[in-house]
Amino acid sequence: MSEPVVVHGRDFVKYRIGGAIVAVLLALALVWQVYELFDGDARTIPEVRWGVTEYDGRTMGAQDEASGLLAAQSLAARTTFQAERYQTGPSPEAERPDYGVAPNTRMTTAPMDYGEELSEGWAALGGDSGAILHEPGRVVGLSSLPYPGAALFERPFGRDWRLGIADIATHLGALAILGMGFLLALVLAVRGRVPIAKGRDGRKVKRFGLIERSTHWLTSVSFIGLALTGIVIAFGKTLLMPFGEPFLGAAGWISTWGHMMFFPPFALGIVVMAVMWIRRNLPERLDLTWLRMGGGFFSDGGPNPPARKFNAGQKLIFWSAILGGALMVATGVTLMFPFVWADLGALSWAMLIHAVIGLLLISVFVAHIYIGTVGMQGAFWAMWGGDVDRNWAEEHHALWLRQVELEEGRTKP
Amino acid sequence: MARLKFLCDTDRCIECNACATSCKNEHEVPWGMVRRRVVTLNDGEPGEKSIAISCMHCTDAPCVAVCPVSTLYQTDIGVVLHDKDTCIGCGYCFYACPFGAPQFPRATLFGSRGTMDKCTYCAGGPEENGSEAEFRKYGRNRIAEGKLPICAEVCSTRALLAGDGDVVGEIYRERTVARGFGSGAWGWKTAYYPEQDS
Repeated sequence: MSEPVVVHGRDFVKYRIGGAIVAVLLALALVWQVYELFDGDARTIPEVRWGVTEYDGRTMGAQDEASGLLAAQSLAARTTFQAERYQTGPSPEAERPDYGVAPNTRMTTAPMDYGEELSEGWAALGGDSGAILHEPGRVVGLSSLPYPGAALFERPFGRDWRLGIADIATHLGALAILGMGFLLALVLAVRGRVPIAKGRDGRKVKRFGLIERSTHWLTSVSFIGLALTGIVIAFGKTLLMPFGEPFLGAAGWISTWGHMMFFPPFALGIVVMAVMWIRRNLPERLDLTWLRMGGGFFSDGGPNPPARKFNAGQKLIFWSAILGGALMVATGVTLMFPFVWADLGALSWAMLIHAVIGLLLISVFVAHIYIGTVGMQGAFWAMWGGDVDRNWAEEHHALWLRQVELEEGRTKP
Repeated sequence: MARLKFLCDTDRCIECNACATSCKNEHEVPWGMVRRRVVTLNDGEPGEKSIAISCMHCTDAPCVAVCPVSTLYQTDIGVVLHDKDTCIGCGYCFYACPFGAPQFPRATLFGSRGTMDKCTYCAGGPEENGSEAEFRKYGRNRIAEGKLPICAEVCSTRALLAGDGDVVGEIYRERTVARGFGSGAWGWKTAYYPEQDS
């Protein structure tokens, strides 16, 4: 480690400028996300109002806001029909009032923007309403209908699930992804790339064979497909609504298909990867040293902790892919076949776990993609062409390099 | 402003299933799906009760909050409607619903889920009110004609009440006073007053 440092991380000026720009953009996105967390729009508000409109059987007139009162009045009047006749009349002899809309009119809908106060008013207990409330709770009985879930009356857990997905999982997931991106961009801007400190040696070392590389790319391409379609499903309303509802609908539909299509190659990749690499990824004492030294990440001249073919960081990525991937596949397949082996409660939990783990995996693999491309000089070619520079191997996987060269020395005297 | 609600009087429901049947017929709901069901509690035992349930058209509706593609929306009379053209069948509303209302035809993607269908409070959908296209996708629009849901209007014992929440509550209160008992408005706390501490 006493050899002179030829290439410095700080010398990658263009990378660092790019990193700084991305860091600023992601910081803004983070601020926006934090604002979304506290902007108090979590309550559902009505977006459409009813009114009464002239209708001659063919053409519909325009609806004005004031007619909403008329609509409300006629619906309320109609409601009294259901009372006991001796209480609210009319007596059987009296003429029946003509409840419903007036002749030549229709009730119609139009967009509105004052839903917030309505929603707030509805949530408040007015008058004697409190006296008739029945104690809430989970209620399941019997139903004569042969459908799964038909016997359910009430499950207040639905409201908790909504909090879990809409107010916790998606917000925390966005924070994790944007936060990770921001930190990495900041590191790139300040520290620059992790260089091959001694410069390129020119001699190549074979690092990954064809099967290893194709499995990696099969899994990674399908993971990115799953991640992007999953992001549309999780955040579509926030990210794509500005482009219009039809666009959102189309993107959502494509994502639904895409999410299904990327799943089989991903599952296959996970299985092959597990079989192929699990032996070399078992934890060992060396990993603790590596982690304690932060992988030698922050200094150009080392010391670089020694590692075999996979260092502790790569092992963590491996296990996130295998364990996280397995969990995603298990929950995903459960969701694809509702009620086959899981009931509504199990499905709800599967969906929550799927969302949370999925978002965390995206955040973890943003870091993996970073370190495998712009984050470290020479790293990308290991997985692309299969060969790495000898100096790169020496700096990051010294034990592995020694073993490879020993074996080569044995076969090629 | 009228805030429409459903209330099923468990002391009156006789499990005749007329609400479920007339709903299916009125809206031509496809095979395998029901917008309204009757659930029987303690079947065959003392204290047996039946209760009809469908979408309750909740206040602060959880389904609307979780929908990732803005398919679900609420109207100013409380009715929660859906847009079949944008639904992707993800099932979020189904997990968030406290009453098991959303239904998915066993058909296409995301495994076996097609686009969602649920009770519309007989108020159709985003298509032009009362149009043929609206009927095909969402069923009859009785609200457009100033009428209330068929399930309640057809109920022979007037167990199932629909319409303006204040009027419905008043009818139920007077009824329980007259007969001297009543087990309360089932599901109302979860559906309409989620923010009230019990």
